[in-house]
Amino acid sequence: MIAPRWRKVLRDIAGTPLRTALAVVAMAAGAFGVSMILTSYSILTRELKTMYTDTRPASAILVLDGLVTDSLVDTARRVAGVNDAEARPVIYARLRVGQDQWLPLMLFVVRDFRNVRMDRVTGATPIADDEILIEQSSLGITHANIGDRVIVRMVDHGERPIRIAGTVHAAGLAPGWMEHAATGFVTWSSVLRAADVESQQLRILVSGDRLDERHIREVARRVELAINRNVTRIGIPTPGRHPHAAQMDTFLFLLGAFGALTFALSAVLVANMIHALLVEQLRQAAVMKTLGASTRQIASLYLGQVSILAVAALALGIPIGISAGRAYARFCASMLNATITNAMPPLWIIASEVAAGIIVPLLVALGPVWRVSRISIHEAFSNDAGRRPFGTRAFDRWLARITWLPRPMMLSLRTTFHRRGRLILTVATLAAGGAAFIAALNVSAAWTRTLDADARARRFDVQAGLSRAYPIADVAQALAKVPDVAHAEYWAEAGAMLGDYRVSLIGPDANSKLLDLPLLEGRWLKPDDDGVCVINQSIASRGDLVLRINGRTVRWRIVGIVKELAPGRAVYAPRRSILAASGQSGDLTRGVRIVTRRHDIPAQIAASKAIERALDRAGISVGGIHALSDSRKSFADHLVIIKSALIFAALLVVFVGGLGLTTTLSLNVIERTREIGILSAIGATPLTIARGVVIEGIVMAVLSWCVAVIAAIPITFALDAVTGQMFIRSALDFFMSPAAVAGWLLLAVILAALSSFYPVRRAARLAIKEALAYE
Amino acid sequence: MISLQHISKTYETPAGSFNALRNIDLEITAGEFVAIVGKSGSGKSTLLNMIGGIDRPSSGSLRIGGANIQSLTHNELAAWRGRSIGFVFQFFQLLPTLTVAENVMLPMDFAGVLPGNARRRHAEQLLERVSVADQADKLPSALSGGQQQRVAIARALANDPPVILADEPTGNLDSEKSAEIFRLFGELAADGKTLLVVTHDAEAATLVSRTITIVDGCVA
Repeated sequence: MIAPRWRKVLRDIAGTPLRTALAVVAMAAGAFGVSMILTSYSILTRELKTMYTDTRPASAILVLDGLVTDSLVDTARRVAGVNDAEARPVIYARLRVGQDQWLPLMLFVVRDFRNVRMDRVTGATPIADDEILIEQSSLGITHANIGDRVIVRMVDHGERPIRIAGTVHAAGLAPGWMEHAATGFVTWSSVLRAADVESQQLRILVSGDRLDERHIREVARRVELAINRNVTRIGIPTPGRHPHAAQMDTFLFLLGAFGALTFALSAVLVANMIHALLVEQLRQAAVMKTLGASTRQIASLYLGQVSILAVAALALGIPIGISAGRAYARFCASMLNATITNAMPPLWIIASEVAAGIIVPLLVALGPVWRVSRISIHEAFSNDAGRRPFGTRAFDRWLARITWLPRPMMLSLRTTFHRRGRLILTVATLAAGGAAFIAALNVSAAWTRTLDADARARRFDVQAGLSRAYPIADVAQALAKVPDVAHAEYWAEAGAMLGDYRVSLIGPDANSKLLDLPLLEGRWLKPDDDGVCVINQSIASRGDLVLRINGRTVRWRIVGIVKELAPGRAVYAPRRSILAASGQSGDLTRGVRIVTRRHDIPAQIAASKAIERALDRAGISVGGIHALSDSRKSFADHLVIIKSALIFAALLVVFVGGLGLTTTLSLNVIERTREIGILSAIGATPLTIARGVVIEGIVMAVLSWCVAVIAAIPITFALDAVTGQMFIRSALDFFMSPAAVAGWLLLAVILAALSSFYPVRRAARLAIKEALAYE
Repeated sequence: MISLQHISKTYETPAGSFNALRNIDLEITAGEFVAIVGKSGSGKSTLLNMIGGIDRPSSGSLRIGGANIQSLTHNELAAWRGRSIGFVFQFFQLLPTLTVAENVMLPMDFAGVLPGNARRRHAEQLLERVSVADQADKLPSALSGGQQQRVAIARALANDPPVILADEPTGNLDSEKSAEIFRLFGELAADGKTLLVVTHDAEAATLVSRTITIVDGCVA
């Protein structure tokens, strides 16, 4: 037999189905939000971590001067510290995607598809020598299907039709659609191979600590000595880091941060709900005390009630949250060219979701339950139990002096501020949601603005790279025949080593106006500069920059630091300095930056095609050509996943916060059925009453909006700083999105009005006697 | 049985401090049936609350059945109240979601005085005594005011407390029902319970063994 007090708990729950349903739904919304984020976060962190290491990524890539033969690979394998070695030449080609439109295509030559020893791919089928396997994330941008023949253009080696035999998944590669470049795989005896234009790459996997970059470098140097060949470059991919690790980190960080915010939001929401449920139990608690109930007995009753509601909320919110989280994890994985092999969150995550779903409500219930169980009987039986009378606070008295408002509105205002506990909780719930919403959209807008600012800083429309150096006069002559070309500049470009890192040297024309990158420190280059340079934020050096260029060492003074979106290390120096340092001739060029007559996207694309045609006719081999809009699009595609996380967070917050607001305000109205009865008794029409309550809802919404806007500022600052540092190594510029700020105000006011209107209309229609008798 | 010496109670309100009780001395022996009368706001209910341990005096000493209830903690006081005092209120204060029988069983539940399976029988006996046994499984809202007050009295008797405190128990009832309630109180007093009843009911005065009048917080 159940003791009468526990029967009371059960009947209180069952006897007020609307109130119980509202409370459970609000708590379930919180559980849903938290478990969705926790689930996707835990699946993604686990899967992304193993995804990359499972490919056995090469520790180092040695670029050789000549062919990588089998005997050379054997020699490398025998070097101490080498676990394995493999030849993996790379062919840089272009794939035709339309009339005069070519897509960069990087083809990896695989020694033996049945025995890929590192940088593994999955799904490879045997292919013929005139076939390629396309990386699955690249297939879409080739505008071709499996089985199609496509035209591949080789550097200086004409064009070849080649069949796409199938797709493979190379989890270690960045997604092709994001890079705007396709990757594929060919056989050792592929018809596309031509030793002189391939990058001859020897990949090694070290034994011992594979995450120790210094160890890897030592082993790579030993291999260099052992094979006794000219190694032009040793590339060491950051050990253990996927090429898009920064992007993933940023994304996961945001997911985690908004997970925490959603958690905070649901905690406040639950607190609010419990507060609303317990306030009206004050009198009953007092009666039980007069019957001899101890504080502990009363507290356990109400904590029991909260537990029952929490369990119901969990049963509803967690399963839905987990399935939504799994779906979202799959979506994100596809964005990162990853496949989820196991879409179940770890058991401990589910366990902690359940534990949090019970412990959090109990913790936030402790305050109100303590109050209910400790309240003195005397206090509980007096009217307005537990509330300080209106007029005892300075603010009340100030409010009471506002007499120029219509009386019903005055009443609404004073009631709102009188019920302080309720006001604070409701405003806090809404503000937590609003702050998260505004911050998410702010950070999203900051990324867009960073992207736009970077695009604006580059005032050319088309950039063409040539397969080798050509006389500037020849290129200029070819371009002169293209009517779309308004202006062209031939900047000096070279590669250099800064310590162990490769950096790009870019030398704009002395009077160039095509580059206006935002300065973080110092100044930009001046026409008469020499021996100085400007670096981007990815280079940590300060003072003098010591570079090795083609075996020579140069020392340039750093005069400025610029901010760029592309995370590569770049050094800007006067054109003549770079020419001198790299020993290039000023009459030759490998690249050209072009300003077209019109700057819109179709014009840029049309110009690119015309330039490609003109250079082709002049016998100038183009390595790559792209419109600036295309580069911008590629950057934007890198941000898709981050923006998706932010928009997802904003929507989740709208859902949880909106549901929270609706349920809270509805409960508030139910709680006031008695008060509404009194108003009806003294002649208020249902419309007057409804208007009053709706005004209260709106006052709370507007208040919460003010708090949300203020709270969003530090959150935005922090997220801008952290995500910017993670992804582009520089904090994003703070930006408060007017659309987000206005959007939340609108949303909060509409939700507040709607969610108070319906319950108050119901209450106002109750017979006065019924309302006054309402317990 | 009940002994009050120099009991005073002062409330701090926004309008200043207010002396609800001033230096009250009172002795009530076991089995007495006492009516406390006085105007609205004179301090009758405050006095009852002091005796029931609902409120604490600002000064003075208070002993009930040998217990110095001022020295009890919040929780000890609740346990003491559950066994020693039965309360009856003007608005009955039955818990709306519990049936009549369950309302009566609730104090036994809190005090843990009877084995769980004996409580229902005891509740039925008490309801029988106050003549509402046939309502045992109804919810309070289905009962008339007089019936609800009878249930409240049965509930007050649940743990067989020596003292019954009633605060305007008939204030919400018609004169016929009021008379019945007072007759019931009379029977309880005859059984040896000590009864203190705050009332405005003039008729009640004829049934009680003693009437105490409170004027401005003092015994007149």
